[in-house]
Amino acid sequence: MADLGVMALLLGMALSTYSVVGSVVGVKTGMPALVVSARRALYMTMITAFVASGALIAAFVQNEFAIKYVAEHSNSVMDRAFVWVAFYSGNEGSLLYIVLALSIMSALAIWFAPRRMERSMPWTIAVLAVVQLFYFFVLIFFASPFELLDVIPEEGRGINPLLTHPGMFSHPPMLMGGLIAITIPFAFASGALISGNYGDDWVDVARVSAILAWGVLGAGMLIGAWWAYTILGWGGYWGWDPIENVALMPWLVLTAFIHSIMVQKRRGMFRMWNVALLNIAFVLAQLGMFINRGGPVVSVHSFASSALGIIFLSFMLLSLLFAFGLFLWRMPQLKSDRAMESFMSREAAFLVNNFLFLAVMGVTLWGVVFPLFSDLARDVSVSVSAPYFDRANGPILLGIVLMMGVGPLLPWRKSSARSLRRWFAWPLVIAVIVIVVLVALGVKRPIAILSFGVVAFVAASIMEEWWRGTVARHRSGDKWARAWWRLVNGNRPRHGGYIVHLSILMLGLGIIGTNFYQQRTDGALALGESLVIDNYRIEYVDSDSSSRPDRIAQWAEMSIYRIDPADYATEISLARAQGSDSFRLKDSTRRPNDRLIDQIQPWHGFYPDFNMASVRSGIRSTIVEDLYVIPRDFLSDGRISIAVSINPLAWWLWASGPFFILGTMVALWPQPAVERRPVRTEKQIRALATGDL
Amino acid sequence: MASRFPFIVIGPRALSVRPAAVLLASTMIAIFAVATGCIREDDLTLEQRAHQLYSQLMCPVCDAQTIDGSNAPVAQSMRLKVRELLDDGKTNSEIKEYFVLRSPEGEAILAAPEGGGFNLLAWIVPFFITFGGIGIALLTIRNLRRSNARSAEFAAAGSGSATDQNDLAKYLAQVDRDLGISPIPAAGKAGPGTPSPDEKADS
Repeated sequence: MADLGVMALLLGMALSTYSVVGSVVGVKTGMPALVVSARRALYMTMITAFVASGALIAAFVQNEFAIKYVAEHSNSVMDRAFVWVAFYSGNEGSLLYIVLALSIMSALAIWFAPRRMERSMPWTIAVLAVVQLFYFFVLIFFASPFELLDVIPEEGRGINPLLTHPGMFSHPPMLMGGLIAITIPFAFASGALISGNYGDDWVDVARVSAILAWGVLGAGMLIGAWWAYTILGWGGYWGWDPIENVALMPWLVLTAFIHSIMVQKRRGMFRMWNVALLNIAFVLAQLGMFINRGGPVVSVHSFASSALGIIFLSFMLLSLLFAFGLFLWRMPQLKSDRAMESFMSREAAFLVNNFLFLAVMGVTLWGVVFPLFSDLARDVSVSVSAPYFDRANGPILLGIVLMMGVGPLLPWRKSSARSLRRWFAWPLVIAVIVIVVLVALGVKRPIAILSFGVVAFVAASIMEEWWRGTVARHRSGDKWARAWWRLVNGNRPRHGGYIVHLSILMLGLGIIGTNFYQQRTDGALALGESLVIDNYRIEYVDSDSSSRPDRIAQWAEMSIYRIDPADYATEISLARAQGSDSFRLKDSTRRPNDRLIDQIQPWHGFYPDFNMASVRSGIRSTIVEDLYVIPRDFLSDGRISIAVSINPLAWWLWASGPFFILGTMVALWPQPAVERRPVRTEKQIRALATGDL
Repeated sequence: MASRFPFIVIGPRALSVRPAAVLLASTMIAIFAVATGCIREDDLTLEQRAHQLYSQLMCPVCDAQTIDGSNAPVAQSMRLKVRELLDDGKTNSEIKEYFVLRSPEGEAILAAPEGGGFNLLAWIVPFFITFGGIGIALLTIRNLRRSNARSAEFAAAGSGSATDQNDLAKYLAQVDRDLGISPIPAAGKAGPGTPSPDEKADS
C-alpha cells in the first residue's frame, strides 16, 4: 500500500505541475489543445489524490503497522468506524485529506463553471494547480504519510482518545475542507484579474463557492463547539484558542464577502473591495494552515511542532505577495459602475458591516500575535486567551448583530424618511419592550440586557419583513404558508440570509446566556450524598467501571431533583455565609417538594497509552438552561469529584445549527433559469410579480 | 406615537451624514463603556469570584488552557489556592498579583495581559482597529457620494445623456422591485394603506 500511495502522490505532483505549465504556456502561445489537456490533468490529479487516500485507508483497515503513520494513529482493537477519523488525525494524513478535498472541489468547480468564463478559466486552473502542487510537494518531501518503519511493531499506538466522538467524523474534515475551499473563489477572482476579464462573470461562481466554503467552515466550527461542550469537559464551547481563531478569521472575512458581493451583483459597486476581501480570506486560510503546523503559538489543537512551519510560512507569504501584487496591478480596472448615493442605504450599511467584520478579524489577529510581539519587544511572555477576546471582540460582535437588523431594513441606494419610519418603528418598539420587561423582572447585567434588546430588534425586523411580505401575498390569494414560501422563493439569497440571521440570533442568545449568567460550583460526593445548587439537587446514586485494553472507564449514576429552596433554607443561608453558591448534603432523604426530573451518567475514561483522560459530561438540557455535570475524577476513597455548571440558554447554541445549514442551502439553491432572464416587457414584469410563470 | 420615535433620533426630514454618524459613534462608545464598566466584585459571592479567577489564570502545564478547564494536578492545586486566598479576604487583583509573582511563568500565568506600559497596547489597538475601520467606512461612503455628485453634474452637462440616465434609473428601479420581494409591479398600483414590502425598494 505504501508504494501505491507514494506513486499516486508523485503522479499527482507531476500532473499538477503539468497543469500549471500547460495552462500558462497554452494561453501565452495560443495553443487551445494544451489548455484543454492542462484542464484534464487537473481532473486527473483528483484521481491520484483518491488513489493515495484510498491506499492510506486500506493500510489502516489492514493494520499495516509497517507504515509509521498507521502505527501511530491506530491499533487493531480500535472500532473500525474510526479509520476515517484516524486517516486525518495526524499531520501527514490531514495534509493528504486537504489535497483530496481541494482536488475534488477544483474538479467540481471547473466542471460546473459557466462556459462564458472560458477566457479566464486557464488562469483559474493554473492557480488551483499551484496550490495543489504545493500540498503534493509537502506530502512527498516533508510529511509523507507512507513513511515506513525499520522495525514493524506488533501493535499500533491507537487513536487519540479525544477524537473518539461522533463529532470528530465531521468537525475536522469540515474545518480543513472549509479552509482549503476558500482557494476556489480566490482562484476564480485571480483568474478574472490575470486574464483581464474583470467583468462580473466571476461574481456568481465566486459567490456560490464562497458561500459553500463559508457554510462548511461555519458548520464545522459549530460542530467543534458542540464536541468541546460534550467531551472536553471544561464546560465551555469556544475557548478563543489560536487554532479556533485562525479558522474564525477567514470565516469572518468570507462573511463580509458574501454580503458585499451582493452589492456588486445588484449595484455593480465594491469590485475592488470584493477582490481584496477574497485575497485576505485566502491568505488568512494559509495562515491557519501555517499556525496549525508548527506555527509559533501554542494551542490545544496543534500537531506536534514540525519543521513544516517554515515551509507553510513561505507559502503564506508567497500567497500574500501574489494576491496583493495582482490586486495592485489590476486595481485601476476594478472601478465601480455606480457611486454611493446615501449613508442611509443598504450598500452603505453593508460597507459598515464589512468593516466591523474586518475589525473583529483584526482584533483577533492582534490577540493571536500579541504574545509574539511581547516576546520580541521586551522579552516577557504573556498569554492572550478567552478573557481578552471576550472583552475586546464582544462589543464589536454586538455592533455586527445590530447592523444585521439595520442593514436589511434600509433600501438600496437611499431611504426616504417615510420608509425609514415605517420599517424601524416596530423593531425599535419591540426592543424597548424587551429591555423594559427584563429590567422589570429584575434581570441583572446591563450589557446582557442591552444585548437581548439588540437580538429582539433584529428578530423583530426579520419577522416584520416576513409578515408584511406574507400578508401582501396572502391578500393576492395565497394561503398563509404558501404565501410565506413564495416570498422566500422569490428571492432566495435574501431570505436564506434571513434564516441564517435567525440562526445567528439563536447562537447569540446562547452566548449571552452562558457568558453572563452561568453559575458554577464544584465539590466531591460520596455515594448517597447530594450537591445542591440553585433549584437542583444532584444525588450520587451509583457508580460502575470497566477495564478495556486501551482504557479504564468509570461512570456515575446521578439523579437530578428539582427542589424548592424553601425546604433547604437553613443550609442555603449557611452556605451563603461561607461565600458558596452550593452545598453538600450527607443525607439525601427527599424533602417534601423534591421532584425527580432526570438521570445522568457522567463518564470518565483514562487511557494509559496516552496518559490522557477523556470525559463525557452528564447534561440535562432544556430550552431554558442546561445542568452540566463534569466528572473531574474518581477519587481513591470512592468519592467522585465533580464540577457543576448551570448554563442558561445553552440549548439555543445547538439549535441554531440546523437553521444555519438550512439558510445557507436556501441562499445557494439555484434560481430557475427563467427567473434569471432579464425582465424587459411590462407583461413579463406582471407575470413575474403575480407569480404566473 | 410609537411610529414617530425613530425620527426623534434620526431627524424628521434631512437624513444627512452627521446624525447618522453621531448616532453610530455614540452607540458604539456606549457599548464599549458599558462593556468595560464591568461587574463589581462586591456583587459576587466568593464562589463566583473564584470561578471568575479560574478563567483568568492559565494552567502552566497545559497548552492554551485556563485552570478552569483543566484536570491537571497543578491546576487543581491552583484552584484550591485561589479559594484559600479569597477566604483570606484578598481582592481579585491581589490574587492575580500573587500568582504572577510566585509562578515561574510570570505574567504569562494571566489569561489576558494586564497593567500599563507595553501591555496597554493589547487593549488600545482594538479601539484603533474598530473606530479606524468605522471611520474608513464612513469616509469611503462620503467620497463615493462626492464622486456621485460630480458624475451627476457631468451627466447633466452632456446632452441627451441625462434622459438616458433617467431611463436607466427607472428601469433599474423596476428591476429592483421585481427581483425584490414584492409581488406588486409598482408601488402606485398597491391599494392605499396596503403594507407592501416594496416600500424598501422605493427610491
